[in-house]
Amino acid sequence: MTRMLSTIAVGFDGSPDAKTAVRWAFNLAVQVGANVAVVHAVGMLGRLDQHDTVQSLETSISQLCDDAGLDGSRVQLHVANGDACSVLLRMADDPIAADLLVVGSRGQGKHPGLLLGSTSLELAEHTTVPLVIVPSL
Amino acid sequence: MKLVLNGSFEDSGHEELGHPERPERTSAALLGVDDLHLGDDLVRAPMYAATRAELMRVHAGTYLDELGAFCYAGGGDIDEDTYATYDSWSVAQHAAGAGLAVVQELQRLGDGVGFVVTRPPGHHALADRGMGFCLLNNIAISAAALVAQGERVLIVDWDVHHGNGTQAIFWNQPDVMYVSTHQSPLFPGSGAAYEIGGMNALGSTINIPVPPGATGDVVRRAIDDVATPSIAAFEPTWVLVSAGFDSHRDDPMADLALTSGDFAAMARTIARFAPRAGRFAMFLEGGYELNALRTSVAASLAAVLESPYSAEAESFGGPGAQQVQSAREERLVALRIAEEAATQGDYS
Repeated sequence: MTRMLSTIAVGFDGSPDAKTAVRWAFNLAVQVGANVAVVHAVGMLGRLDQHDTVQSLETSISQLCDDAGLDGSRVQLHVANGDACSVLLRMADDPIAADLLVVGSRGQGKHPGLLLGSTSLELAEHTTVPLVIVPSL
Repeated sequence: MKLVLNGSFEDSGHEELGHPERPERTSAALLGVDDLHLGDDLVRAPMYAATRAELMRVHAGTYLDELGAFCYAGGGDIDEDTYATYDSWSVAQHAAGAGLAVVQELQRLGDGVGFVVTRPPGHHALADRGMGFCLLNNIAISAAALVAQGERVLIVDWDVHHGNGTQAIFWNQPDVMYVSTHQSPLFPGSGAAYEIGGMNALGSTINIPVPPGATGDVVRRAIDDVATPSIAAFEPTWVLVSAGFDSHRDDPMADLALTSGDFAAMARTIARFAPRAGRFAMFLEGGYELNALRTSVAASLAAVLESPYSAEAESFGGPGAQQVQSAREERLVALRIAEEAATQGDYS
């Protein structure tokens, strides 16, 4: 029996690939009636300009939400300390309990020697729930 | 008492414009050493690059291959915090080797205190991934070398960030005790009091998170009240410190309120856990405000060397006493639950 999707967690660092992933997650949420946790990881450097970054992300999310026709009340931005991989993995645990993780194929960390961004690779190795890696357009 | 310092500061080339983890940090730490005017009591360990076998006690071979290839291809950003350049692989090998060389020199002398001045720092580096400015886990590589010689190693990490890499590497290693005081919430988001070690090493991980604004009295109490009884029972034969000075009140990377006098007090306390001279070494981790770094290095080294130095006064009165008490209780509960689960084969 197929399990219903209740909560989708999607990583978002503001990069073009991350926007593609958020767009994909929002469209899926519209189709299946899921809630979406948009997750932003704050690294060591991120805290220095955290306030401005979060404001900018909120603006982007609002726009993407409108574009997808998704009810904004079903979307929540989670800002958490840590590297993107660890923060996303934690989203599968309570209290978010996401049953699907979504990421872009590359975030802000670029690793030219690899096909995928290192976050995507790490997630694929360690996730306990299904993971979708949305390719670059 | 002699100070054994690594002889290699080959960190040039590992640099990214505008990044706070920069070569001037080593210069500031070395100025702190100079401020002690140690003369003939300053001993330099030979320059040394860690071998692949020494690195592989801690890191996955595939990660080492990938990191080396990434650097020699020109490097770039590994994640939003962490960079590597063409030179970073060599720099990181020497940073890891510096710890090994200092430990070896202390063993040869049978005396003294070690100080490993290296960058990039190491305590966030996982077995298979660099992060948080760190590429190779320098202190873990030295600790693993000591464990291979049959030693029992205490690592105390007073960096403002939790040393998630070191904790993960020794999670199931009963011959290493990892103790961390760190600000929470803060990167990397790990280091809760209930994180106590794996099934083979229950209780050998000790985390005491403290809130923003915590002063030195809170952190010192965390070590005295929560960690000291367990450390005494562990009976370490070596003591290593992940000495991050970004918990200083002037550091821009976090919000703790420690002074150079607090680092001196902590160093003095922690050095007493070593069974004898020549078995205590500090490894530079964070610390991004150069004057705070310089004075804190000088103060903490002076404290363990019993050298004259005028440090800032110890700090008192910040928040966190309740959190320390909660951490102690949370840890005890986690230990009890884990021990029950372990007897049923249901804990990892």
